[in-house]
Amino acid sequence: MKFLYFDPGLGAMIVQALVAVVAGILLFTKNLLYKIKIILGFKSKDDEYDSIDIDNNNIEPDDEKE
Amino acid sequence: MTKKNKIHHASFRDPSGFLFHDGDVLRRSIQPIYFPQYKKLKESGFFKILNQKNLLIPHTETSVSENQIIITPEKIPFVTNPYEWSFEQYKQAALLTLKIQNFALSKGFILKDASAFNVTFHKGKPILIDTLSFDFYKEDTPWRAYKQFITHFLGPLVLAKYHGTEMLKMMQVHIDGIPVELISSLLPFRSQFSPILYSNIHLLAKMEHKHKVDYEGKAKIAKLSKNAQKKILETLYSFISKLTLNKASEWGDYYSKTNYDTDAFSNKIALIREWIMRLSPKSLIDFGGNDGTFARTVIDDVAEILVTDIDSNAIDLNFQKVRDNNEVNLLPFVSDVLQPSPGIGFDNTERETLIKRLIKFSPDVTLALALVHHITLSGNIPFEKSASFFASFSKKLIIEFPKREDSWVDSLLTRKREFINHFDFYNEKNFEKAFNVYFNLEKKTVLEGTKRIIYLYKKK
Repeated sequence: MKFLYFDPGLGAMIVQALVAVVAGILLFTKNLLYKIKIILGFKSKDDEYDSIDIDNNNIEPDDEKE
Repeated sequence: MTKKNKIHHASFRDPSGFLFHDGDVLRRSIQPIYFPQYKKLKESGFFKILNQKNLLIPHTETSVSENQIIITPEKIPFVTNPYEWSFEQYKQAALLTLKIQNFALSKGFILKDASAFNVTFHKGKPILIDTLSFDFYKEDTPWRAYKQFITHFLGPLVLAKYHGTEMLKMMQVHIDGIPVELISSLLPFRSQFSPILYSNIHLLAKMEHKHKVDYEGKAKIAKLSKNAQKKILETLYSFISKLTLNKASEWGDYYSKTNYDTDAFSNKIALIREWIMRLSPKSLIDFGGNDGTFARTVIDDVAEILVTDIDSNAIDLNFQKVRDNNEVNLLPFVSDVLQPSPGIGFDNTERETLIKRLIKFSPDVTLALALVHHITLSGNIPFEKSASFFASFSKKLIIEFPKREDSWVDSLLTRKREFINHFDFYNEKNFEKAFNVYFNLEKKTVLEGTKRIIYLYKKK
């Protein structure tokens, strides 16, 4: 086990599995509702909220400064 | 070689490295135990991407040896602590942490910390300042920092939602995060029916309680696939994005409720701006600056501006403007002049007092508009003590003194009822006498159409 300088809490490690199951269900429902709303015309495809993903497509290359 | 440099007072918990003061410059020493991680983070371009997206404080490599690598992070002029953030600021700090963990996972890393103290505000946005917070991702291990995220971020945010932003100040007392069982017990019963709150807080609290006695660490650790972990991150992200406060605070809409008729108000704005511009300050702090109306009159001309107010809602409004306008030189934060943040943590030095930070920031101009009557009459602070407080960090002070005849002052005095005579000292003469102990008067003018005087003082 990697050395860690604070106690992550045993309960926390175990409960994540359960949290993930709940998360899975929530995401499934959310995606389903979202697709239904698009089909029914309530939402347009670009009605996105701020996403968790980072867009790392336009990273500038290293300049030869200093 | 390295002389005896002063190790940073907060930097002792992580054996990967430590911060130290090299004269005026803050540097980070990386220890050999962390070399593999640091090398991979650097060579894979991970650091570079986070730097360019303004998510992690950039650093330059200062020296490399077999005993330590020294890096110098970009200087942050003023560090704010989580208990000084408004609700929206806190939210953004939480979302930043999730965003970084999500991205790290995709690149084979994790955040080993999810402490709110690893984030601060810089150039208008939240930014991760703990460069050594990354570690290698071990396949199928649950997120080690998950509980810390709950106790530092989700918990306080949700408590603030139900009980108001005062709850965020609990982070001052709980430097290691608010205990899960406490969060769980404080949430209303209906939160048991929210899948996110039930699983991430109530269930977690029950599990913590059950596994409290496992001193030998023998119980099995569950496995968690990367995808499962990503799902947790995404639902937390989505949930926190949508969080709003249940109630607003009293000062939010301040400028529409004040004492000024529109002419007097525009005069004040013009006058303050003129006085500030004459001083050509590089840095400025506005105490009781509410939503930043006065600070914004000089935003294009002053390099670093701090705006602080006791009202969290006003800071939220201010922060929203910072985001809408993409301002990079204005930093709003919550503080109470009557009790500025103390030093906390081990030895009371892990997190610095507000006053110490202000002394270091050393603002060229301090604004104290529409403030001193509250400090004196609501806070019962004698003029001398206010003067001493401002003198401890100010160079030039622009301060507004509402006279006894001012209607706000009058109402504050009336509220004293039978103790009203205790405040007979409250007048122009005594005010000036007290401030003259620490300051030299440079300018004084009565605001047209009001019973208020504006002073420009220079610290002796």
